[in-house]
Amino acid sequence: MNKWFKSGAPWIWLSAGGVSISLISVLGLLWLIASRGLSYFWPSELYQFDLLDENGVKSVVIGEIYDREEIPVGQLAHLNLDLDPEQEVLERLLIKTGNRELVSLDFRWLLSHNITNTQKPKDLVVVERRTHGNFYGYIDSMVVDGNEVDSNQLDELLTRVEGFQQQIDELQKSDIGAINYQLERLRLKTRKYQLQDKLTPERQAKIDSEVVNLNQRYAKLEQELMGYREEISRDHIVMRAMDGQLVTINFEYILKVTFNNQLNLLEKLSTFFSQIGGFIIEDPREANTEGGVFPAIFGTVLMVLLMTVIVSPLGVIAAIYLHEYAGKNAFTKLLRISVINLAGVPSIVYGVFGLGFFVYMVGGSLDQLFYSENLPSPTFGTPGVLWSSLTLAILTLPVVIVSTEEGLSRIPLEMRYGSLALGATKAETLWRIILPIASPAIMTGIILAIARAAGEVAPLMLVGVVKMAPNLPLDGNFPFLHLDRKFMHLGFHIYDVGFQSPNVEAARPLVFATALLLVTIIVALNMTAVSIRNRLREKYKMLEH
Amino acid sequence: MISISPKALATGSDPAFSKKLDLNNLAPEQVALDINKLNLFYGKKQALNNITMSIPKGQVTAFIGPSGCGKSTLLRCINRMNDLVDDCHISGEINLHGNNIYNKHVDVAELRRKVGMVFQRPNPFPKTIYENVVYGLRIMGENNRRRLDEAAEQSLRSAALWNEVKDRLHESALGLSGGQQQRLVIARAIAIQPEVLLLDEPTSALDPISTLVIEELINDLKKQFTVVIVTHNMQQAARVSDQTAFMYMGDLIEYSDTNTLFTTPLKKKTEDYITGRYG
Repeated sequence: MNKWFKSGAPWIWLSAGGVSISLISVLGLLWLIASRGLSYFWPSELYQFDLLDENGVKSVVIGEIYDREEIPVGQLAHLNLDLDPEQEVLERLLIKTGNRELVSLDFRWLLSHNITNTQKPKDLVVVERRTHGNFYGYIDSMVVDGNEVDSNQLDELLTRVEGFQQQIDELQKSDIGAINYQLERLRLKTRKYQLQDKLTPERQAKIDSEVVNLNQRYAKLEQELMGYREEISRDHIVMRAMDGQLVTINFEYILKVTFNNQLNLLEKLSTFFSQIGGFIIEDPREANTEGGVFPAIFGTVLMVLLMTVIVSPLGVIAAIYLHEYAGKNAFTKLLRISVINLAGVPSIVYGVFGLGFFVYMVGGSLDQLFYSENLPSPTFGTPGVLWSSLTLAILTLPVVIVSTEEGLSRIPLEMRYGSLALGATKAETLWRIILPIASPAIMTGIILAIARAAGEVAPLMLVGVVKMAPNLPLDGNFPFLHLDRKFMHLGFHIYDVGFQSPNVEAARPLVFATALLLVTIIVALNMTAVSIRNRLREKYKMLEH
Repeated sequence: MISISPKALATGSDPAFSKKLDLNNLAPEQVALDINKLNLFYGKKQALNNITMSIPKGQVTAFIGPSGCGKSTLLRCINRMNDLVDDCHISGEINLHGNNIYNKHVDVAELRRKVGMVFQRPNPFPKTIYENVVYGLRIMGENNRRRLDEAAEQSLRSAALWNEVKDRLHESALGLSGGQQQRLVIARAIAIQPEVLLLDEPTSALDPISTLVIEELINDLKKQFTVVIVTHNMQQAARVSDQTAFMYMGDLIEYSDTNTLFTTPLKKKTEDYITGRYG
């Protein structure tokens, strides 16, 4: 035994064990998130349960099985169930029944003890709607233009509605959005002239004519829009719910009608991937509990990129000064220690700082100086994507400084001497020799900064993230990148859907799916940076002396 | 502290010594560098004691001596590389063209263009071979492709490296062998046409064959440049240099033409060193 200890083998086992545990936790995390998240997109089977409850009442429930669990019989003593005395646990199922207009809850628990019959009828459908969540039931009839038609026209009608819907979205988002934006700018222009006392009658007339012009275009577009609206609300479908009630759903609200029980594996797979695609490119609906997360993806990536653009030069310049120019004295040491300690400050503190300094002080002053026409409603004096990026840039600054400095100090003196001896000045040496060689270390700093920034949520809640942003920070209206706008963020989206949602059960898979997406995006951003770093390393790799 | 007796220099009858110079009384046009009462301190420790010597133009001058004798320090004074060392002060002068390089108004970068230097270990930049050679020229603002190409070829030929690398000029310099790298560094130094080339133990990190190539190269280089070489290898000093200075503990003990120094040293310390009694 003693010999075994001396051989060093236990340490090898110990270290290998450490690696395995880390690996298992990472893989376990990914597996859990991925399996829970991805199952959200898989088209599940639709069931019809015939129930007989303890009072002898028969009923029918239609829905998807969401979850199942076993509960001790003792908990159900009050129900006076007719049970086998040996039995200790009972299984119960969580069923998503949808149909929110009939029952206020989307979900209900069923004791499998009460189920007398389970079927999977082929003609059961799930209707995804714009509002009120899913509807489960049978198609009773369809009405086109006032006449009842055969239900095999369903696909055709859905395609028709989708076409109109796309045109409506386009009209609303780009054309009408642009007009509203221009009207707002004209209003601000007028206000600015008023404030500066420069509102001459000519200017007023010019602005007025523009406003009239825009309003005319708006009226025309609105008419067009009304036309489309009328078209899509022409037809409706009548559904029969589980209790036999008939419900009329206008095509206007229908997104998709699926016969889940008729799908073969291939169709299920294609539905699965189209659902994932929709999740990525669509806007959220119904208080974020349905639809996609595109604005959140966009906000996260844009904010991280902006942060990178801000933090990289700042951190590198600071590190260069600290390492190359600052005197090597106690003050520099203190400065360096402070920088390292900054990395340990809780992120919410940065959020508070960002709110107080950037939003209220800097933003407030900017508003007074440049956007006074819009006051009292703030332009930059309110949380926004710029302030979020700046706050996170400050938060990640120490990481970049520390790793850049480390990179600078690893460069052999001979490289500097070689350049200086050829008549280069210190600045030329830095620019042409030192920085390229240090670039992989700088990239390492940036990678760490991205990893930290993309995962931060707490400070963002103070300086710019919102539950629902009506517009993306980037759009077709001049100046295209609107740094003053608030934005959505995947991390905050997870928090919002998971904790603030009106429908927590329904949101649970969405939380996992969003988490999976967030992890994927951070990994993708990191991999990009890592591959850049590896290329730089290859290019500037130094001789092993 | 120059200690060369007239006797040692007056051996004109020997044909091998026919080009021998009187190091004490060089004509101004023969002098490349004139070192005058140079003292150097690292903090409080004196590393060079009152060195005075003249380095003749177009010749190879070697500094020899045991480790820590100050030979490399003296060499680094000539292009002011010691400026980069914290807490290093210097008194005395080194004159290049009659101007003291330690004068306040001297542009150090300009000086280093005139006095190039090659270090102990090959230090090519992590760039292509071509970019390494033209680095100095680019620093000087030369961007004309044709002129850069010409200079690169010429320098590489002078450094006896052209034939080996002409087909891979645009590959990384780090793929070259140690000896090739050292010649590349020499090519890089001579590409900017310096007047003086300082070599700080240029072969100590190389194998014997590469050493031989570099030594032959040094012989060629003196046609164009004044070469000052520091070496701890006495055979090398004997092989490549015209003059040799022996230093010990920061003092210049003896400075004369190489043959004299190695055959009839005047000082006991020199004799002890070259016969291998210490060092």
